Amino acid sequence: MEKLLTNYYETASIILFGVGFVTLLLHSNLIKKIIGMNIMDTAIFLFFISKGYIYGKEAPIIRGVHKGIQGYINPVPTALMLTGIVVAVSITAFALALTIKLYEKYGTVELDEIMRIRGE
Amino acid sequence: MDVAKNFPLVIILILFIGAFIMPLLKNKIYNKAFSLMTIGISSVLSLITLVYVNRYGTFLYRVGHWDSPWGIELSIGILEAIMSLLLTSVAFVISWYSVYTIEKEIKDNKVCFYYTLINILVGALLGIVYTNDLFNAFVFIEVSAIAACGIIVVKDKKENIKATLKYLILSSVGSGLVLMGIAFIYSITGNLNMTFINKELSQTFMAYENSILISLGLFTIGLGIKSAMYPLHVWLPDAHSNAPSTSSAMLSALVLKAYVIFYIKILYRMFGEEIISQFPILLFMVLILGSLGMIMGSILAILQKDIKRVIAYSSVAQMGYIFFGIGLGNTIGLVSTFFHILNHAIIKSALFLTVGSMIEKTGQKKLFALKGIGKEMPITLGLFTVSALSMVGIPILPGFISKFNFAIGSIKGGKSIFVVVILISSLLNALYYFPIVINGYFGEENLEGKVFKSKEKTIKELMPILVLIIAALILGASSNKIIEMISNGVEVF
Repeated sequence: MEKLLTNYYETASIILFGVGFVTLLLHSNLIKKIIGMNIMDTAIFLFFISKGYIYGKEAPIIRGVHKGIQGYINPVPTALMLTGIVVAVSITAFALALTIKLYEKYGTVELDEIMRIRGE
Repeated sequence: MDVAKNFPLVIILILFIGAFIMPLLKNKIYNKAFSLMTIGISSVLSLITLVYVNRYGTFLYRVGHWDSPWGIELSIGILEAIMSLLLTSVAFVISWYSVYTIEKEIKDNKVCFYYTLINILVGALLGIVYTNDLFNAFVFIEVSAIAACGIIVVKDKKENIKATLKYLILSSVGSGLVLMGIAFIYSITGNLNMTFINKELSQTFMAYENSILISLGLFTIGLGIKSAMYPLHVWLPDAHSNAPSTSSAMLSALVLKAYVIFYIKILYRMFGEEIISQFPILLFMVLILGSLGMIMGSILAILQKDIKRVIAYSSVAQMGYIFFGIGLGNTIGLVSTFFHILNHAIIKSALFLTVGSMIEKTGQKKLFALKGIGKEMPITLGLFTVSALSMVGIPILPGFISKFNFAIGSIKGGKSIFVVVILISSLLNALYYFPIVINGYFGEENLEGKVFKSKEKTIKELMPILVLIIAALILGASSNKIIEMISNGVEVF
């Protein structure tokens, strides 16, 4: 329990990951599925960024004086997650575009109804 | 000859730049020619790279001349060179076939996007194969996922959109898990370069057993979803059976394989044999899931009524073999996995293309409607028969050699009981491939009213499939040399 509280970033991100994962798997509404996917991705970003964060240090943006390596947090995870966000946004956009197409063809975004229409 | 060191990056750049030029060329003919040309050039460059690597050994290429812990590094050994030759040349043959048929399956105004996506897909897969950097591999995985979804949905039918959405959602779960695995590894090693991670881990892995086990599990499940490991294969049959047949060939033959290569890299280059042997449960799980896939994939294939779904489920079974070889955990298992990747890529693309031409000429997808096809399209069904025989594992053909090696590997690894699984799976393979062939060629009532060679394609259009079959025969005939080469590659992997 104490471990969970001291590493509260990680705990929070794993809980968020679980929420996103369950939303993704259990909901039959496609929009909710995509929201779940986004929550899951965000949880991973939080986890990754918290790995580079050091308590009490600044973001590595130099204003005036360079404080030396000790003064800043690790910038690599932040930079990586910037790429990660771009990838997640493009996947979301693609999924939403497909959902619109699917709505045009079937008239619904509920997966179980689509299954029923296909079954008939 | 040192200029050959630049070729891997040049290949990726040619493919990607080509992809972005293509939508600007409005004419379809130019598009096709341009796509074939870029993929053709990259397969020639891959061949040169293979020759170079074979002579001078593995080399590392620093992208943009940044030294390795900071910059992105490509690492090209014999295995990577073989895989890149396979990917580019099979992609070339499939594109060559698609030049004649693609308009029949997708709308005219989508043709240029199809070729754009093919170029992006092949480039991204090559990136996954070459790269030595985890995050770079993740980005290439996402690019290849979007491109792979694109070549399914390009057909623009109801079923395609549904199948694509399913594939997209599941594969983004997969890549999410991979990213989580990367986060765990980064947090304990502080590196993204696989060689450096291996160095760090080999000193400190005892302190982080749980983190390592979690990240191994995340990589296994994440890449398992993407390469259709048995219980995670649910997206595959829909996606592969609804896509245009050239896309199915591409997806089944190439896309699944690149993720397996990345998985093997993670296991043996990043974690290393020492750490893997600390967690025997992981490889055992992969072995069990592989064997389950071999049997269940074949059983599910027997139950299908649609010919493309049969072949799609057969892919699940064949991916089972590939994971089986990884799960054996010894060198011969790994070598036969690589040989099976070569074999399956060539044979499965031939199968999808022959079936694609049958469906195109008859307009039927159901198995019962394709009875007696052997009289109408004897050459096409003949090519199908050769590939089916190789899948089942008839000697001389490459399928036999890979199965034989899997059997030897399981006996040498002290897991002789799994030889039974290989035998059962081969028999089940025969059960779903042979009825198609037998009902195609024989049976009075099947052949009634069919005109000999009435629907046969011209020899020009069948050439690509013929090339694939000849490549498979060469692969079977010169298997000793190729296996020796792969073993040399596995030694230095």
